[in-house]
Amino acid sequence: MLTLLFRMSATTETPSLARLATREVLLRKRRGWFFGMTGDQFVKYVFQGNAAVSIIVLGLITFTIFKDAVGFIPMNHANLAVYRLAGLEYVDLYREQVTAHSTMSRYLAGIRARQLDILMQKEGLAPAAAMARLAAYDGFANSFADTINEQETLLGTMTDLVTAVKERQTVAQDLAVAKKNLLGAMSGATPERAVELQQQADAIQIEVIDYQAEIKPLLALRPEIAATNASQMTAMKEILGQAPKFADAELNRRMEKFQGFVQGYFNEAAVVAEKMAAWDQTKPVGRLEAFNAFAFGRKWITASFWQDWYGIIPLLTGSLLIAFLALLLALPLGVAAAIYVNQVARPMEQKILKPYIEFIAAIPSVVLGFFGIAMLGETLRRLSQLPALDWVPGFPMAERLNATTAACLLALMAIPTIFSLAEDAINNVPRSFKEASFALGATRLQTIIHIIVPAALSGIMAAMLLGFGRVVGETMVVLLCAGNRIQTPDLSAGLGVIFQPVHTMTGIIAQEMGEVVRNSIHYRALFMVGAVLFLISLLVNWLAQKIVRRYRISIG
Amino acid sequence: MKPAPSAFAAIFGRPTPAKRVETGVFWLLRLCTYFVLLCAAFIFWDIGSKGGAVVFQSSAPFINVPFLTESPETLNVFVRDGREQTMGDRAFRQFKAEHAAEMKGVAVETYVYSAGGIFPNIAGTVLLVLGSILIALVLGVLSAIYLSEYATEGPFIRFLRLSIVNLAGVPSIVFGLFGFGMFVIALDFGVSLLAGWLTMAFMVLPIIITASEEALKAVPQGYREGSLALGATKFQTILTNVLPYALPGILTSSVLAIARVAGETAPIMFTAAFVMRDELPWQVQKWTDFIFQGVMALPYHIYVVASKIPQNEYTRDVQYGTAFVFLFTVAAIAMTAVILRQRLRKKYQW
Repeated sequence: MLTLLFRMSATTETPSLARLATREVLLRKRRGWFFGMTGDQFVKYVFQGNAAVSIIVLGLITFTIFKDAVGFIPMNHANLAVYRLAGLEYVDLYREQVTAHSTMSRYLAGIRARQLDILMQKEGLAPAAAMARLAAYDGFANSFADTINEQETLLGTMTDLVTAVKERQTVAQDLAVAKKNLLGAMSGATPERAVELQQQADAIQIEVIDYQAEIKPLLALRPEIAATNASQMTAMKEILGQAPKFADAELNRRMEKFQGFVQGYFNEAAVVAEKMAAWDQTKPVGRLEAFNAFAFGRKWITASFWQDWYGIIPLLTGSLLIAFLALLLALPLGVAAAIYVNQVARPMEQKILKPYIEFIAAIPSVVLGFFGIAMLGETLRRLSQLPALDWVPGFPMAERLNATTAACLLALMAIPTIFSLAEDAINNVPRSFKEASFALGATRLQTIIHIIVPAALSGIMAAMLLGFGRVVGETMVVLLCAGNRIQTPDLSAGLGVIFQPVHTMTGIIAQEMGEVVRNSIHYRALFMVGAVLFLISLLVNWLAQKIVRRYRISIG
Repeated sequence: MKPAPSAFAAIFGRPTPAKRVETGVFWLLRLCTYFVLLCAAFIFWDIGSKGGAVVFQSSAPFINVPFLTESPETLNVFVRDGREQTMGDRAFRQFKAEHAAEMKGVAVETYVYSAGGIFPNIAGTVLLVLGSILIALVLGVLSAIYLSEYATEGPFIRFLRLSIVNLAGVPSIVFGLFGFGMFVIALDFGVSLLAGWLTMAFMVLPIIITASEEALKAVPQGYREGSLALGATKFQTILTNVLPYALPGILTSSVLAIARVAGETAPIMFTAAFVMRDELPWQVQKWTDFIFQGVMALPYHIYVVASKIPQNEYTRDVQYGTAFVFLFTVAAIAMTAVILRQRLRKKYQW
């Protein structure tokens, strides 16, 4: 089509050419036939318009993602407002106390297990006999566990109260959406249909919940809570007086620690009571709070009957943990390979190695993920179970699929990226640098360490950053191999943290996007995560370019 | 009398400590490099050997034809006459009808997608790749021509290059999210080929633009000047004296882009891919249905069979078989690109 246009422009101009002098022809201002443009100009604009597609696409991506992401803030704001108004927040305060108590019961169970261990291993008792020896302890532990019963009953009552309110709120919200949809459909409908729609919409009765009134029965429980707390305290102190003594020093130490926990529990109960007294249903939820709940939230809980939380911290930490692990593996290997191929390898070797490493980039990520599930995960776990490797923190691995499994595969994906960019950077170091170094009597290794690598450092740094970008944005491998447990990595495990299953930002989008209701808060939360990923990728790119530009060595 | 050692040997022949360290470090570097290659080779070997056993067979026609030409089916496993039998869903239904009395009360285990073949997946992937590459090539090559032939330094070009670089760094899942929000929902294409094409085309656009521009810039300036001097317009020059010489380079870049497009899963997960679909892509009523239909795709199928069904002896075949077909197809495409590029470098010595 372009050629056709071009020919048309040529034919329109031919007849007049013969009558004019050459000079005039050359100097004449040619009038275009197409909106005053000549064919060539038109073609140029076609090309330019095409080139602008990249800008448009980037703009569209930004627009699409942020448009849906921004809607998250008001929705989460409403979500949190209901959490407070319906009294869920109040109940959660009380739940903390109950949870703290059950943690102590678990601690007692831990002591019991250790004790049983000692009885059976060291004293060689049969299980039945050992159990009999523990009877006194069991009585103590059970009566301790029973001290929470009243609180649990109360908590159950409170939960039922607020769940009922929340349920009604959800129904009202759904009805409001339905009504809005009906009214929205009216604009394009025929008059008869519009009347019908209006009737349907009017028929919908939306309950207006009076939260102030609904909360009253909940707050009426306050004296009861105080009373149970007081009675629990006396009961616990009494039980604690009968705490059994052990022959084993370690167990006694643990028991002492337990006494400390109980003291801590009393303090916590006091704090909780204070918080509950100070809790104010009418305190407004700030906009910033809605954003902070996302940016600093440590819980990502969706589709729960109680309360949904959309906090990015567990996902962000999971993504970063995997990315850093992968870089830790990929960076030394990639840079070493780049140095080797560019500086040490013979030309023949170089010719084979370079395409081969770049070829690794072509392995599809989903195949790598599958390999991780089918092969690598199991192999790594077997390896971790070797008695000889017991000293490694976190070994033996609890899960076959964890951060390390994913990181190993991601490292393999990042190596070609890091390799090609680092190799390019090394290749761009002027020959004269190297020659000058040799002339001064440096060996090849000295030249590499002191001349080549420092000169190429900016490129290597950029390679690292872009490798990081690639790893953070990678989806399929982490989705398949990272274990997908939504949990902030537990740093108390020390280095063993790298063998915990995690979830990632990319993984959560891929996993949950297919199932969410369109335009729901969950849907927007996922776009919010996408926006964070997008911003990270832009930041990484910007940093890489800045580093390359800032530290580029001028040749000359 | 022994011959005196040459000056070279006297200086360099002696192993000095520095030399020894150097050899050691070089061996370390070599080890790192070959370790990476070994890891990659092991993956190829593992999937090649286990998947190859599914796709190839020792008797004629040497290729497992049903695996490549049938649709995925549910696998039924049951014990009959003390022997374990496995059957695809269609065969099993027929068998059940024939042996109704016998089959009563027999426990049947089922594994989805573990029988039959992967033909619709292959077809879907081919369609996805062809469409998106076509779109990306048109947009990409025209953009590259502008950048290399027309552009003069200025804010527009700087902004354009910035966009291209940043577009190249956007994670594929974000492209998927964009495609979902933009094409599937805002433009209401639904989960369709068209949405997948556009999403993936935009994803590989930076690769094609960068590589094509490089190919165009490699054509010597003299070719253009010669043509212009003979009175050709700029467009004629590009058409006759620049593009033909840049074409091989552009094609190489497009082969590389094909490998990238074929290998991606995340962008098509919610824009174009279906887990299961009974009709083949060309079994449609109107042509509009063709571009607005979702398809099954190989990479998505691998994801599904790797994560949604258990790992055992019955499901292993389809898992490794699919991974094998996919990995080696993509690898072959990438290999073609690498070889093409090397031949190109040899052929054109300006």
